[in-house]
Amino acid sequence: MSKMIEIKGLSKKFGKTEVLKDLNGTVEKGQVICVIGPSGGGKSTFLRCLNLLEQPTSGQVTFEDSDLTALNEGQLNQLREKMGMVFQSFNLFSNMTVIENVKLAPMKVKSMSSDDAQTLALKLLDQVGLKEKADVYPASLSGGQQQRVAIARALAMNPDVMLFDEPTSALDPEMVGEVLKVMQDLANEGMTMVVVTHEMGFAKNVADQVWFMDGGVFAEKGTPTEIFDHPQNERTQDFLAKILEA
Amino acid sequence: MRKVILWLSLVLGLIFTGLAVAQPTQAATVDNSLQEVKDKGTLVMGTSPDYPPYEFLVNRGGKDRVVGMDVDIAKKIAKDLHVKLVIKQMSFDSLLVALETHKVDMVISGMSPTPARKKSVDFSKIYYRGGQSIVVNKTDAKLYKDKNSFANKTVGAQTGSIQYDLGKKQIKNSTVKGLDKITDLILALKSNKVQGVIMEEPTAQAYVENDKGLAMVNGKFHLGDGENNTAIGFRKGSTSLVNEVNKSVDQITSQNLTKQYLADAGSYMKVNTKNTSMWHYAGYFGKGVEYTLIITVISVFFGILLGTLFALMRLAHNPLVHSVGVAYIEFVRGTPLMIQVMFVYFGIGLFINIPALTAGIIAVSLNSAAYVAEIIRGGINSVPIGQTEAARSLGLSKNQTFSSVVFPQALKNIWPALGNEFVSLIKESSIVSIIGVTDLIYQLKAVQTATYKGVLPIVVAMILYFIMTFSLSKVLNHFERRMRHE
Ligand SMILES: Nc1ncnc2c1ncn2[C@@H]1O[C@H](COP(=O)(O)OP(=O)(O)OP(=O)(O)O)[C@@H](O)[C@H]1O
Ligand SMILES: [Mg+2]
Repeated sequence: MSKMIEIKGLSKKFGKTEVLKDLNGTVEKGQVICVIGPSGGGKSTFLRCLNLLEQPTSGQVTFEDSDLTALNEGQLNQLREKMGMVFQSFNLFSNMTVIENVKLAPMKVKSMSSDDAQTLALKLLDQVGLKEKADVYPASLSGGQQQRVAIARALAMNPDVMLFDEPTSALDPEMVGEVLKVMQDLANEGMTMVVVTHEMGFAKNVADQVWFMDGGVFAEKGTPTEIFDHPQNERTQDFLAKILEA
Repeated sequence: MRKVILWLSLVLGLIFTGLAVAQPTQAATVDNSLQEVKDKGTLVMGTSPDYPPYEFLVNRGGKDRVVGMDVDIAKKIAKDLHVKLVIKQMSFDSLLVALETHKVDMVISGMSPTPARKKSVDFSKIYYRGGQSIVVNKTDAKLYKDKNSFANKTVGAQTGSIQYDLGKKQIKNSTVKGLDKITDLILALKSNKVQGVIMEEPTAQAYVENDKGLAMVNGKFHLGDGENNTAIGFRKGSTSLVNEVNKSVDQITSQNLTKQYLADAGSYMKVNTKNTSMWHYAGYFGKGVEYTLIITVISVFFGILLGTLFALMRLAHNPLVHSVGVAYIEFVRGTPLMIQVMFVYFGIGLFINIPALTAGIIAVSLNSAAYVAEIIRGGINSVPIGQTEAARSLGLSKNQTFSSVVFPQALKNIWPALGNEFVSLIKESSIVSIIGVTDLIYQLKAVQTATYKGVLPIVVAMILYFIMTFSLSKVLNHFERRMRHE
């Protein structure tokens, strides 16, 4: 196994509040990491530090042997295209149709021809089950459909890793399944994924590693069995108890 | 607080530098005023043509022309000097500033050489002596004998005029209402806002002859030397020019030419009042609409161009660029358009001679730019940050993100507000009439002067403004609907 992402001594402060404290971790190629933990624990901030949407205060994020924190804007743009990101609030471009959303980055960033991008986009939309919605605007889609388009859009850049920030938290319960299914398929195809999620079922079944984050630190890391069946840390136990109650 | 002080000092700094540079070079000790006029071959006369029979507009075949006694006098002077006469129209208030800022060589506008004016203006010899009269509604004519009958009443006079001072000083307990235009004063009289309007005798005569509802009363004011007389104003220190012009004035007096001039003016006034239907003045209104539209369209264009620039400056991370953007926007939005118009025309006019229309367009554009900048900034800020993050996470650069994602979405918010700005510019651009740009407001006043009708031209202008703004709104709505997909 080769290293995809390596995090060393990662800290992040907003003003005086330290949100991430000296984080370390490794994401191997083909691994699915699920990050769980209570609200406000720093999960989103951690994920956003991985593709430098958020600038870490100190520490290193190494992606495929490049230290992202040492790169300039242009180099960063090049590496970002290899790190797909999916947001809780979908963030589809509202001024473009579904297929234009998917085609934009390949055409702009990779200078792909419109025809090639069209073929690629249709293939990906088919993969997430939304080929027939290619020409509508995002606002007319359900949340679940929008999130699947967002996944297709990220995949269009042929990324080496996919980052998910609570991709199903903004969805009605009946739509959660369709999105998780797409993600599960991706994992099965061998995609490297870092997923922040509250879907414990998904974490149990799909993750290779579960990282429990609280108060800006990884309080506990382990396999799903270790974390869910034999949590060692008190905070992990509390958190899981509350989740299972709900 | 520190920020506020920084901005203030920035703005004030800009102004003071501007002023320091703008100090007019001290009047040359050598007086070459006459030589200058002869060298350029033109004599520019400033006048406010709303004062028959001194100066007013006549409508001949749809074109308007300034005529009247003062114009005849100016023609004679130009002829005696062997130069061409150029007439510049502007409001009475602006005349002396125009003189000072070299926009005109002389002012002939029924102006009396008062001691106060003499401080800043050199006057020719007196070319006409007339009394001061008070125009009243004919129905009330019996109530008034002279100025003393107006004690405790409200009288009207042109702002900044002798008549205004006379009313203030010589009528007991009176309230003097000042308006810019005689036509507006007559309107105020007819709607009983004022009980009488003080004006020079020949002017009063003209109004009474042309309007059966009016009568005139001899004011019997105590008139000082300068106050019932009319003379020609020149820039301070133009002795050579004044002396030369006085030769013409002497001839005018000795040959009693003003009598002939007044008779000519009277016949012109009959031309005007022969046909006072608004149709007859369609050309006036047409020209007014044309200028209003020209000013608006060009100003919208440059307003958007500059507005985008200032919006981007204000959104910039560079603190200096940002502050300049903020200072400009706040300063322009914090001062009245009217003052900006005058500043551009008279202030910048000190260095380069810009025509009134150009000055008006520049001022309105610069003003609009500040408002457009805020519209654009608001539009850009209203695009959710998630859109930018999504684009950046796909590897798009900052510029690509802005041009493909943020700006097109901002545009949807910007369009309607920009449309409103466009519509309101049609109305607000009317302020340029104060520097003599012949926009719709200016033409409205011209028609009022020419026809002695107060209300009807206002109604016509109002309808024309409404047609312009309403149809523009419709067109913009159409585009807005087409842009809204989703
Ligand atoms: N831009 C910011 N400026 C200041 N504080 C921030 C910012 N973003 C996040 N924080 C703070 O950092 C802490 C961690 O936030 P983060 O969003 O990473 O938590 P989270 O684990 O993702 O929570 P949730 O489950 O609610 O999404 C919170 O206390 C939050 O208020
Ligand atoms: Mg979060």
